[in-house]
Amino acid sequence: MTPTYYLLLSALLFTIGAVGVLIRRNAIVVFMCVELMLNAVNLTLVTFARINGGLDGQVMAFFVMVVAAAEVVVGLAIIMSIFRTRRSASVDDSNLLKY
Amino acid sequence: MTNLAAAQATLAEAAQVGAAGGVARFAWLLIALPALGAAVLLIGGKRTNAWGHLLGCATVVLSFLYGTLLFFDTTDLDPQRRVRELDVFSWIPVNALQVDFGLRLDPLSLTFVLLVTGVGALIHIYSVGYMSHDADRRKFFAYLNLFVAAMLVLVLGNSFVTLYFGWEGVGVASYLLIAFWQHRPAAATAAKKAFLMNRVGDVGLAIAIFLLFRDLGTTQYTEVFARAGELSSGTLLAITLLLLLGACGKSGQFPLQAWLPDAMEGPTPVSALIHAATMVTAGVYLVARSNPIYDLSPDGRLVVTVIGALTLLIGCVIGCAYDDIKKVLAYSTVSQIGYMILAVGLGPAGYALGIMHLLTHGFFKAGLFLGAGSVMHGMNDETDIRRFGGLFRYMPVTAVTFIIGYLAIIGFPGLSGYFSKDAIIEAAFGQEGWRGWVFGGAALLGAGLTAFYMTRLVLLTFFGEKRWEKLTSADGRAYHPHESPSVMTVPMIVLAIGSVGAGAFFALGDNLVTWLEPSLGALEASEHGVLPHALVPVLTILLVAAGVAAAWLLVGRKPVPVTRPVRVALPVRAARADLYANAINEALFARPGAWLARALVFVDNKGVDGLVNGTAALLGGGSGRMRRLQTGFVRSYALSMLGGSVLVVAALLVVRFA
Amino acid sequence: MTVLEAAHTSLGGFLAQVTPIQAPEIDYAAILPMLIVLGAACVGVLFEAFLPRYQRWSWQVALTLLTLVGAGLALVVYLRDNPQQGVVTLAGVLSVDRPALFLWGTLLVLAFGAVLLIADRSVEPGGAFVSHAAVRPGTIQDRAQAARLGMQTEVFPLTLFALGGMMVFCASNNLLTMFIALEVLSLPLYLMCGLARRRRLLSQEAAVKYFLLGAFASAFFLYGVALLYGYANSVRLRDIAEAAAGTNRSDTLLYAGLGLLVVGLLFKASVGPFHAWTPDVYQGAPTPVTAFMAACTKVAAFGGILRVLTGAFQATSWEWRGVLWGVAIVSMIIGAVLGLTQTDIKRMIAYSSVAHAGFLLVGSIALTGEGLSGTLFYLLAYGFTTVAAFGVVSLVRTADGEATHLSQWAGLAKRSPLVAGVFTFLLLALAGIPLTSGFIGKFVVFSAALKDGMAPLVVVALLASAVAAFFYLRVVVLMYFSEPSPEGPTVSVPGSFTMVAITLGTVITFVLGVWPAFVLDWAGAGGFAFSTT
Repeated sequence: MTPTYYLLLSALLFTIGAVGVLIRRNAIVVFMCVELMLNAVNLTLVTFARINGGLDGQVMAFFVMVVAAAEVVVGLAIIMSIFRTRRSASVDDSNLLKY
Repeated sequence: MTNLAAAQATLAEAAQVGAAGGVARFAWLLIALPALGAAVLLIGGKRTNAWGHLLGCATVVLSFLYGTLLFFDTTDLDPQRRVRELDVFSWIPVNALQVDFGLRLDPLSLTFVLLVTGVGALIHIYSVGYMSHDADRRKFFAYLNLFVAAMLVLVLGNSFVTLYFGWEGVGVASYLLIAFWQHRPAAATAAKKAFLMNRVGDVGLAIAIFLLFRDLGTTQYTEVFARAGELSSGTLLAITLLLLLGACGKSGQFPLQAWLPDAMEGPTPVSALIHAATMVTAGVYLVARSNPIYDLSPDGRLVVTVIGALTLLIGCVIGCAYDDIKKVLAYSTVSQIGYMILAVGLGPAGYALGIMHLLTHGFFKAGLFLGAGSVMHGMNDETDIRRFGGLFRYMPVTAVTFIIGYLAIIGFPGLSGYFSKDAIIEAAFGQEGWRGWVFGGAALLGAGLTAFYMTRLVLLTFFGEKRWEKLTSADGRAYHPHESPSVMTVPMIVLAIGSVGAGAFFALGDNLVTWLEPSLGALEASEHGVLPHALVPVLTILLVAAGVAAAWLLVGRKPVPVTRPVRVALPVRAARADLYANAINEALFARPGAWLARALVFVDNKGVDGLVNGTAALLGGGSGRMRRLQTGFVRSYALSMLGGSVLVVAALLVVRFA
Repeated sequence: MTVLEAAHTSLGGFLAQVTPIQAPEIDYAAILPMLIVLGAACVGVLFEAFLPRYQRWSWQVALTLLTLVGAGLALVVYLRDNPQQGVVTLAGVLSVDRPALFLWGTLLVLAFGAVLLIADRSVEPGGAFVSHAAVRPGTIQDRAQAARLGMQTEVFPLTLFALGGMMVFCASNNLLTMFIALEVLSLPLYLMCGLARRRRLLSQEAAVKYFLLGAFASAFFLYGVALLYGYANSVRLRDIAEAAAGTNRSDTLLYAGLGLLVVGLLFKASVGPFHAWTPDVYQGAPTPVTAFMAACTKVAAFGGILRVLTGAFQATSWEWRGVLWGVAIVSMIIGAVLGLTQTDIKRMIAYSSVAHAGFLLVGSIALTGEGLSGTLFYLLAYGFTTVAAFGVVSLVRTADGEATHLSQWAGLAKRSPLVAGVFTFLLLALAGIPLTSGFIGKFVVFSAALKDGMAPLVVVALLASAVAAFFYLRVVVLMYFSEPSPEGPTVSVPGSFTMVAITLGTVITFVLGVWPAFVLDWAGAGGFAFSTT
């Protein structure tokens, strides 16, 4: 199995994540779709590390995980606060700022 | 630099321009004193009300005294060394344009200094009395001081740019003073008219200066005059004509004469100082000062002469028809300046004569205006001579000084006008061929007409029936004619003395001509005139006598109606309408200008604005529609980002692989 | 090293097979300003943990301002004898070169102004920040917190973290570092957006939008990094540039990676069409935070764009330049046209910032010395004008907070001529009228672009400037020539903090407008340095 398939898989995952951001309404799910995109990137990084025969990509995947974790902390805090306010996690309900 | 060196070399041969030393080192004081006066009075405001007029007089009197000192300082010098320059400061040091603020102290400018400060001082003193009832007297003196300062810059500057500075300065002062009683619509309109018509002339002067700078790279008199020969004949003609246009604007010459009579809406001292004795002669000064340029362009001079002859006749003809004492004097000014322009147009044969007439005119016309002001002062500011009559007994000093001025202007033998005007008529007849006949004839005819309308003015004002007795002035008061206070009569007396003696003093022994030689060159006497020299004075006196007689027959012998007759002959109607000058201006310039403006406004409204407004509407509409795309839904924002990303990546790949 | 040696001997053979990790050389003097900022941010967190609530504000303000001053001093001291070609340190991860130092200085000064606005408690009693972020908006407790005088002082360490991230971001020589820095600067900003004392629904909405879109953009950026890593087997800018010079690799990876990377950067710089978050977030966020974001984030983002484009993609500029032309044009048009119909002053400035981002992009893609120095100058000038402008916006208030609707600004000049005059001046600077820094900025950027053969782009930029001038002048007309409404806003007397910030911004806007030479000299003092190892 050539590593190229992993690249295609990761591209697919990234696309699924991106499309998920566009079509899902729940803020948590939208956010999880972003996480899916990040993890797709991780897969890409690891694959390239394998293809190119270096370790950098694998190390970078760790960095991305840490960053993603930090993002979760901040993101969930923000989503929590707005959920408490609105009793709804739908991103479409946050629609006061427009035009 | 080689050009400069060459220019200086030629200059050294032609005339010596020395640096001013000694008492002349402070020549800038001449300008600074009245300028300071104006500044103090304008900035000081109401606080200076109590003593402002005294300060105004003092600065001009001091300037006059210092000018006299300079005059004697110069007469002490060898005639070859009488042209001196004084650098004051570097004014416009921009790359190739290097203009230093410098003063040129030569016989011509010093003559003007004495005229401006001398007559100016007298009129300042007169104004103390004349304006005593005016709440804004302090402002009036500030403007007068401003005028004197600007006029001195004009005549003392040693470059065309400095002259232009003064030129615009007197324009501003004139505008402010004509509109001094700006609550009167007529005064405000007259000021606007004066300003606008002057502007036409100013543009000509400015373009002439630009041309000089373009071709010679300098505007200093010394260099310009030394190198005027380098100019092509076409450029020379253009410059002379443009300078003439400037002169016509400032001096009220045809075709820009219409503003000057209207300018009489200003207080009478202003009419006397600015619109008779000094500012309006700036055009004559300009042509005389530029004599090295005019010497090189006979065609340009011919145009100057034609304009002068035409204007002097126009002024006389209209002067005959008016009943307003100041308007008659104003048209008389127009015509007398016509004489001066005619004279300087004759070239070396006439520059000095023009200046001489300018000086004598400065005395008698200022005196006449002050006399008119005195009459008005005593007659509830009435100006219609048909409502005067028999005033001699009530204001004897005014009447006597006025009559002296009158005799001077018509050229009564022995008085100043006789010497200066006759000299011009002689010089005009001294031209060869048709020019001699045309210009001489015009000047001669003008002398006769002048005698007619001035006699009519004097007769109607001071003699005959007391028509005012049965009348009241416009505000319902009865007339109580009385003599003016001595602060007003003394200047009139001084000017009357000048009107009597100045001509003889200047002309006998060629005093003035010799004195002006370093500035204007030697006077060339004509050899091939169309009439013998001896015949001209005789003819002149005959024509003047005829004019006086005609006036006496018309208005002295029989009673004059108080309201002016409506049904009159065509020439009189034409003259009353200023020979249709305003109508012609309106038809030729104002209306086409208005049409053009309207057409442009139309193009602007429909075309340019249409385009602009259309674009604005398009943008606004687009904006209104596009902002709906900002839906507020975070998912649609994400979609726009995703779309943008796909486009960017796709475009990059297309650029790379296509 | 002795510790390592001891470890060798004690752990024996297994570890002996592993190559010992060489600790990288670190030029502490060069990165001292950055260390001060990040260190102080950590100290600020400790303050939050250990100081009693009533003491926190004063301690945090003192710490933050001292940090900024200290970092600035460290920067100045380092500037006195730094090498002309710059220093690459931390194993080639950071390069402290002239543009980086200029950007650091700019960031520090702009942050100083923004922190003054953040710290102000006189305009809005208690400050512009919520006193208990956890309280639900619209409840009784929320009204109580709005009246209480405290604020969430976490905003100060958050500001410092964001600032530290920005400093790393525009000096990083390595895409991974850049990504980390991007997150370090973004995450605090997401939080700060949601901390407004009043109109908390808007504030929270702004935070959510900014966060979701920011995370989305980060993913794009990161995917771009991954593709470039696949292309060059390295994330160093220099390695990518060298790889791009060779021809035996997949250009698809290169251009797809470049595209996604640039999208992430353009998002942060709020360049259209990646600007969608900008108006909403600028409007919803507390005004001092908006000022901080508008000024500093833009500086950092364009610093990053300049560095990446110059460092990694100069050789391929022919291919991408056309695309970025298009992006710049779209951005300028969106900013200028959409600004025309805005009714909220903060949204209007947001669209103005989109247009300005387009102008800045014009300078950034010139990739010449003039382009670099011009863009740097523009960033500095624009940052100060914006900080001062938002400072003024925070002064105009009604009983329930800032009066940001344009109709409320009608006739402001009659009520408060000084504020209206200052704001007019700042708007003129944004419009690029001579005698303001905005004019010089536009002039240097456009002339650099013109020299680099981008005349059509400059024409579009000038047209966009003309269109944008309309909406700035509309505010001026509104302030001076409209009748004030009787229940219109009042203008608060600014406290010393806001006063200093507005004065600083206005004075620098003017000084750079009449005497720009010395800043232009600094901005043009040297180019980027990239690691060669």
